[in-house]
Amino acid sequence: MKRALPLILIAAAAALPWAVQGTGAAHLVRAGGIIGLYMILGLGLNFTLGYVGLFDLGFIAFYGIGAYTAAILAGLGFAPPLTIALAVLSAVLVRFLLGLTILRLRGDYLAVVTMGFGEISRLIINNLDAVTNGPKGLQVPPLRFFGISLSENIYYYYLIMAVVLLSIAASRRLENSRIGRAWVAIREDEIAAGLSGIAVGRLKLLAFCLSAAFAGLGGAIFAYWEQFVTPESFVFWESILVVSIVVLGGMGSVSGVLLGALILSGCPVIMQAVLSPEWINYRYLFFGFILLLVILFRPQGILPSRRREAELLNESS
Amino acid sequence: MNLLEVKDLAQHFGGLKAIDQIDLSISEGEIISVIGPNGAGKTTLFNVMTGVYSGTRGSISFQGRPIRGLPSYKITALGIARTFQNIRLFSNMTALENVMVARHCRSSSRLIGPLLRLPAYKAEESAIEAAAKEVMSFTGILSCGNDIARNLSYGNQRRLEIARALATEPKLLILDEPTAGMNPTESQELVELVRRIKKRGITVLLIEHQMRVVMDISERVVVLDYGVKIAEGTPQEVVRDARVIEAYLGKGG
Repeated sequence: MKRALPLILIAAAAALPWAVQGTGAAHLVRAGGIIGLYMILGLGLNFTLGYVGLFDLGFIAFYGIGAYTAAILAGLGFAPPLTIALAVLSAVLVRFLLGLTILRLRGDYLAVVTMGFGEISRLIINNLDAVTNGPKGLQVPPLRFFGISLSENIYYYYLIMAVVLLSIAASRRLENSRIGRAWVAIREDEIAAGLSGIAVGRLKLLAFCLSAAFAGLGGAIFAYWEQFVTPESFVFWESILVVSIVVLGGMGSVSGVLLGALILSGCPVIMQAVLSPEWINYRYLFFGFILLLVILFRPQGILPSRRREAELLNESS
Repeated sequence: MNLLEVKDLAQHFGGLKAIDQIDLSISEGEIISVIGPNGAGKTTLFNVMTGVYSGTRGSISFQGRPIRGLPSYKITALGIARTFQNIRLFSNMTALENVMVARHCRSSSRLIGPLLRLPAYKAEESAIEAAAKEVMSFTGILSCGNDIARNLSYGNQRRLEIARALATEPKLLILDEPTAGMNPTESQELVELVRRIKKRGITVLLIEHQMRVVMDISERVVVLDYGVKIAEGTPQEVVRDARVIEAYLGKGG
């Protein structure tokens, strides 16, 4: 049963577009794609916030850098695979340079500096008219593969779902590897980690850069899907939302992050559909309420991470 | 050549000379104790030796290589491991994972290996697990392997810390008050463990407060007071030293 559950969920997610086709719930395909993007962002942030415990309140900046790089390069006529690769690379590169300078900071100090960086990035995008076209935003030509133009929501739904599945696999494989154990050890006790032979600074930087790769990839897909990017998509609130997704689900827990993304980015859609559209205005109140409940009754998150269990049969002492 | 050579080492914090003018040499295979009243600078000395502090003056050489001011992880990789006065485990990881973490500097896989599940990575992971289980079995805590570290009993947490230090394959093991908070039976078991560690060919340097333990296992004792070394010798010599008696008991009327 435990092994079957993920397969059932994947099958259900894959079947969703067919089930809702032609019904009044067809907008769920688009909602599903958006939830998927938040899952990618959440899994990305989970590398720094979840495993290493670095507070980052400016994560959405790297989503923005990925989206704008993709928009600009696609506008110049770059092929989509190259555009996406360069978008990921630019997010990682900026993250690397930022990490070199700010990763000496810890806890609240790091949170404040990343928040500042997030705001600065948005202001630059907003004001650098020559490159980004400022608040008016940039048009992005539709994604074309082998002469077929992909603009339907359903293509993006499956593309995003594939990326989510790859992100899950990458997270799971890394969390129980040599590098993943070192990350968690740093979160648990930085000094003891250093004295256990872990190059703390280098491993923090690695997690920091890796998380930006996910944000950059998500941003590039978002730019192609929307065919339009504006600074409004990368506001501070979005960074808070991604942090909330990780904290609500359970820091360092892959299934927790997925559930967190489903609840926090899915709830506006459900509220709009089930209740009346004006309920969307109360969504922040709803988030606050959910977070308060989690902090009070389940501070470790809804689905906290479990450590791997090993066979200990060859006991000899 | 001595395993470790400390010359004129000092660590000052502003005007406070936490340790000053420390000379110490350790040869391979010894068990050495550092004793001294509270605040004498014992832990500071260990912190400078393991790269937690970088020292203000002087030199430390390990197997002929200068190590003062190197980052901790490099010193660990060279072969110095330690435990802490107040236990510092990775509390939310399992006991086995705590020890596996310490194999970091003796293994090399990075991102590609685990992402693609390469055979070399899988082989390395099993080697890490096997080595971790070996030291846990050696320290007698293998059966707690899947327990979360913070749920272990106090005595087993101490043993886990020692296992984690041993997993880095040290040549010199530094134990900071390993018997703190232990009853006489547990202390005796720990003394036995330290003797077995020596038999593995590892040199042991420890801070110890229980004089019974110090007298029992040390081949040499170094006494610190107010950051300077006031005596050094066999346990019997040291307890007869007038300056040591004065440091512990005060001057007789």
